[in-house]
Amino acid sequence: MNEPLLSVRNMYVTFSSEHGPVDAVRGISFDIHAGQTLALVGESGSGKSALAMGIVGLLPPSARVTGEVHLDGQSLLGMSDQQWSGIRGRRVGVVFQESLSALTPTMSLGKQVAAAVRVHTNLSKRLAWDRAVELLDMVGIADPGRRAHEYPHQFSGGMRQRAVIAIAIANAPDLIIADEPTTALDVTVQAQILEVLEQAKAETGAGVLLITHDLGVVAGHADNAVVMYAGRAVEHASVEDLYRSPAMPYTLGLIGSVPDAGAAHRRSLVSIDGEPPSALNRPSGCPFAPRCPLVTDACKDAEPELVPVGAEASAHTVACLRFAEVQGRRPDEVFRNIATVVSGTLSDERVLRVRGLGRTFPITKGEIFRRKVGILHALSDVSFEVRAGETLCIVGESGGGKTTTLLEILRLRPPERGLVEVLGHDLSTTSAHLVKTRLRQSVQLVMQDPQAALDPRLPVFDLIAEPLRAAGYGAHATKVRVLEVSGLVGLPPDGLDRFPISLSGGQRQRVAIARALVTQPRLLVLDEPVSALDVSTRASVLNLLARVKAEFGLAMLIVAHDLAMVRHIADRIAVMYLGHVLEEGPAESFFKSPRHPYTRALLSAVPVADPGRERNRSRVVLTGEQPSAWTPAAGCVFAARCPLRPTLSKEIQQRCHLERPALIDCSDARVACHVA
Amino acid sequence: MMILIAINATYFFATLFLDPRSNYRDLRPTRSDEEIGDALALYGLDPRMPAVDRWWSWLSDVILRFDWGHSPTGVPVGSEIPHRALLSGQLILAGVVLSVILGVALGVYTASRQYGIADRVLQTLSVLLYNMPVVVSALGLILLAVWFNQKLGQTVLSVAGAGTPGGVAGGFWPVLLDRANHLVLPTINLTLLGSAGWHLTQRSLLLDNINADYVRTARATGLTRTQAIRRHALRSSTIPTATSIAFTIPAVFTGAVITESVFGWEGMGRYFIQTIIRNDVHGVVAVAAFGAAATAAGAIFADIATAILDPRVRVN
Amino acid sequence: MAETRVSKYIEPPHLRLSRNRLYRRRFARNRGAMIGLMLLGFLVIYATLGGLLTPWHWSDQDFLALTERPSGRHLMGTNQGGGDVLAQTVVGLRRSLMIGLSVSCMTTLISAMVGAFAAYFGGWIERLALALIHFLLIVPSFLVLALVSNRVGGDWLVLVFALALFGWMIAARGVWSMSTSLRERDYILAAEFMGVPKWRIVLRHILPHLSSLLVVNFSLGVTAAVLAETSLSFLGFGVKPPDVSLGSMLADGAGVISSASWLFAFPAAFLLLFTMSMTLIADGVRDALDPVSAEASRR
Repeated sequence: MNEPLLSVRNMYVTFSSEHGPVDAVRGISFDIHAGQTLALVGESGSGKSALAMGIVGLLPPSARVTGEVHLDGQSLLGMSDQQWSGIRGRRVGVVFQESLSALTPTMSLGKQVAAAVRVHTNLSKRLAWDRAVELLDMVGIADPGRRAHEYPHQFSGGMRQRAVIAIAIANAPDLIIADEPTTALDVTVQAQILEVLEQAKAETGAGVLLITHDLGVVAGHADNAVVMYAGRAVEHASVEDLYRSPAMPYTLGLIGSVPDAGAAHRRSLVSIDGEPPSALNRPSGCPFAPRCPLVTDACKDAEPELVPVGAEASAHTVACLRFAEVQGRRPDEVFRNIATVVSGTLSDERVLRVRGLGRTFPITKGEIFRRKVGILHALSDVSFEVRAGETLCIVGESGGGKTTTLLEILRLRPPERGLVEVLGHDLSTTSAHLVKTRLRQSVQLVMQDPQAALDPRLPVFDLIAEPLRAAGYGAHATKVRVLEVSGLVGLPPDGLDRFPISLSGGQRQRVAIARALVTQPRLLVLDEPVSALDVSTRASVLNLLARVKAEFGLAMLIVAHDLAMVRHIADRIAVMYLGHVLEEGPAESFFKSPRHPYTRALLSAVPVADPGRERNRSRVVLTGEQPSAWTPAAGCVFAARCPLRPTLSKEIQQRCHLERPALIDCSDARVACHVA
Repeated sequence: MMILIAINATYFFATLFLDPRSNYRDLRPTRSDEEIGDALALYGLDPRMPAVDRWWSWLSDVILRFDWGHSPTGVPVGSEIPHRALLSGQLILAGVVLSVILGVALGVYTASRQYGIADRVLQTLSVLLYNMPVVVSALGLILLAVWFNQKLGQTVLSVAGAGTPGGVAGGFWPVLLDRANHLVLPTINLTLLGSAGWHLTQRSLLLDNINADYVRTARATGLTRTQAIRRHALRSSTIPTATSIAFTIPAVFTGAVITESVFGWEGMGRYFIQTIIRNDVHGVVAVAAFGAAATAAGAIFADIATAILDPRVRVN
Repeated sequence: MAETRVSKYIEPPHLRLSRNRLYRRRFARNRGAMIGLMLLGFLVIYATLGGLLTPWHWSDQDFLALTERPSGRHLMGTNQGGGDVLAQTVVGLRRSLMIGLSVSCMTTLISAMVGAFAAYFGGWIERLALALIHFLLIVPSFLVLALVSNRVGGDWLVLVFALALFGWMIAARGVWSMSTSLRERDYILAAEFMGVPKWRIVLRHILPHLSSLLVVNFSLGVTAAVLAETSLSFLGFGVKPPDVSLGSMLADGAGVISSASWLFAFPAAFLLLFTMSMTLIADGVRDALDPVSAEASRR
């Protein structure tokens, strides 16, 4: 084979911290060839970002990078900032994760792209601007000439991410490093961004280093992958080999813990016990040993080296003593702790009933003299119900009103428009006293990011006790109840006097769930309950939720954008778009025979963690993004983006445009579409 | 709007705490309350009249004829104000503008050399100046200037007054030069003290921005660290500075009062002290109006500066 | 500073390191803060026990030594009336300490309450509080202070209340703007949905998070109060004879600075040491509690 574009050999990244030096990356080696994509897969704390930033010399000065990094034969380590500036931007482009903070807030987008162009060319300002507009056009920003004058805060997350890509490819670099490029984005937008990245790669012929934790993304867009764990590469293989015959139990577990939205049947998930180790106290032997179902005493003695799997010269390498026993087995054969789908007993009691819920927000302008300039129709017509023992998931892109719906219900106040009934009490007529004494305790919430949802200054006991204290429980009753639920959710017994910061992500979410359960609620409202967690710990939290639902006959209302996860826990699903419910029905038929064109597009955008299927399936690509709900259309709210529309006859197109479809029964589901 | 309320509130404050009668009480021959009241009634200060009525007649005079009333001894306030306001105004303006420029420049300079020798020395100096009472620094400056003048054998820097007493002959330019000369030390005093605070805030603001993600993005396009900071971090880091200009005006005003009294300027600061001692209700209110106007001007300036620097404010 | 940037790349340790111990360690490692603390300790001891250094009482008049240079008899010299400067600085410093600490206590309390409640409750309460803050900022507070203290004479307690009344606004604005960002936090929202009463959310979830800002505000408030008192006394409005404060001593010394510099130099030095110590402590606390923030405002 010819010379690799990027060659990394035995690279270490060491930070000095308050607790002494910490190795974030420990001896990683890999090559990237021009036109190829290498994926770096790992969870938080695995060292993947430190590795990427180490390659381009953008780590803080307190970090020390050793080993060898060569770009086209030129050594990159130990260069001065001056020398680096000749490489960065011209030869290596970087796509960062958080697009809002990655762009300068006080500069227009066009200017930022033009500035990136001018660093390495001597184009005039005018020409650089023209080039910037061209680049913005190339990454798919509509009306680039006008929008180039706008500032980052005026763009949506997806559009900003496109701009970040435009900056990265401004000088046609040979290597593109993409650090979690799609993490905070909707699946539909994620698909578009990955498309743009592919296109940029094709256009520049660059090699790509793709850093991600999403195995679905890896399956569709990478040629080779390195799986990182605790700062080391634990498996390195072509993507086909990696998915077909993973050799490391960790990889196998990861693949098994990713729910599959496209599978014909609901597959049970494996859950990897425990949490990834912190960089400060790693176990002495194999770092995965404490969580590994195949662990032997030999694993704990020394950290295994990366060795070829099978043939001596094989490109598939793994750091595991027992890889021979792993290969060829299914995840659920190796991992015992399997999330079985428990169907609770469904009763007819309607815990929550929502009919025609509407909510508007005034849009104001000006600092001193606030004046109303418009109305945001966050919710227009939302109807659904949840029965005891049932899980309803609300899905859709961000901005569709999912979270607003949750908040409207949680407020427990008379709704602006429509009807909300909790445990048979109509909120518009229920007295504040009854809400305070009964309903408040019956409806509890679990938020997306447990780290943000738990006050960092309170110990776990006080956190869990808070709803009880608010409800006026006595000290003794509170203590009994807190101990009870903390055991139920599987918190370690010594955990109650610890602070959230000393818990891992999964444990924190358990605290949040314990807090929600402590008042013995009837309805649990969850906002993206696992999306902030590490992939390997998600399954165990989902298990916990399924268990408590079955045990207490809870009704659960979940907002989620991860359809694969939804597939795993939902009994019914409602699809929201621009404050409207477009489709509502049982989960089975939702995945088997989606009716609304929007539903189909959503499903098709979900990447599948299987390279074979991922690359060969047909897709409905949704263009553009959900508009803001300033002035909702008179007709179908989805009409402007509907992929079906061009195929329809003139008359029906006209009807879509003028007449808003109602939610009508359609076999076992309800759909709001004229043509479904 | 706020200014109007503030000025009128000061009127009542002043009426409450100042007693114009005492100006007459110690005079010989002793006068009766009756007589004093009659004398004060001429100037709208008659204590026998309800405060609200006095206020109303004062206010209508101000609004209708821009007449700010008289002191208890009959000196019209309006005649005292213009030249004083001009003097103090130029001092405050110069103090604010120069200290912001100097402070921000120092902040930027030291932030890009964090923990270097220059940074440490300037930082220590600024902490020292930040805590320095105005009196101390003003007198220190005077001593320094006197020593300097003695060394040179002639008066290069003037230490007292806003101009040479008796005026300077020779037309416009020498007068201007004389004025400028007298302005130097008081301005330096206010500038140094003010810039210390700006330096320290600007330094830490910029240091925060240096670590921002977008600076990393800029470096990833091939800019060196210094370039990236200058082109991308600088502007965002000055936004909070611009916003807080308004809130420093009261402090500068206080500083100006003391500076004027130390340097013997016949500005608003001196007037401020005199009016309080003389129980001059109307004079006090006029000083308050000046202070409020200065603060308001600062607030407007801060708003404009913020809008120029921050597109997020501008567009929304 | 480097610490926070590193945490982007490595997970914080799941150790049971208590917050307070971490803060204390960081504070103790900050050289400036330790110097400030020692300075403050020294000044407090001086203000309480300094009288033992001299046989003279601060109001004694030594008619044999008028305007005398520092000597064995009077370690810091005497003033025009034969008063012992050392004895007077002890009393003056004590006065300044008391004024500074008590004023700052009050302003910090008022600003925390007004700022946090305004930010959390929002609506008309917030608008009213902000209007009040802006109004008091526009009123030339120094002028009103001078008016008040001129009228009531040298009573330093009244001066304390007056200084507190006009000293809390800028701090309150800082608390307010920081609280508005806290108001959006998830855990505040979660507490609301759990039915926790509003006042309890402010006391339990908002104010504790401002503790670093409040400590910093407190130390800077001391400095501001002391400087304001000095300025007032210097102009003859604050502490008046026969009472003594560092400010009134400065006023006495200023007139004779070229002939009797010790009258000015000693009180000025003590004043500077005091305000410096507070600033150094404030910086140390800020660095220890919150290595990221610069917003934790200086002014």
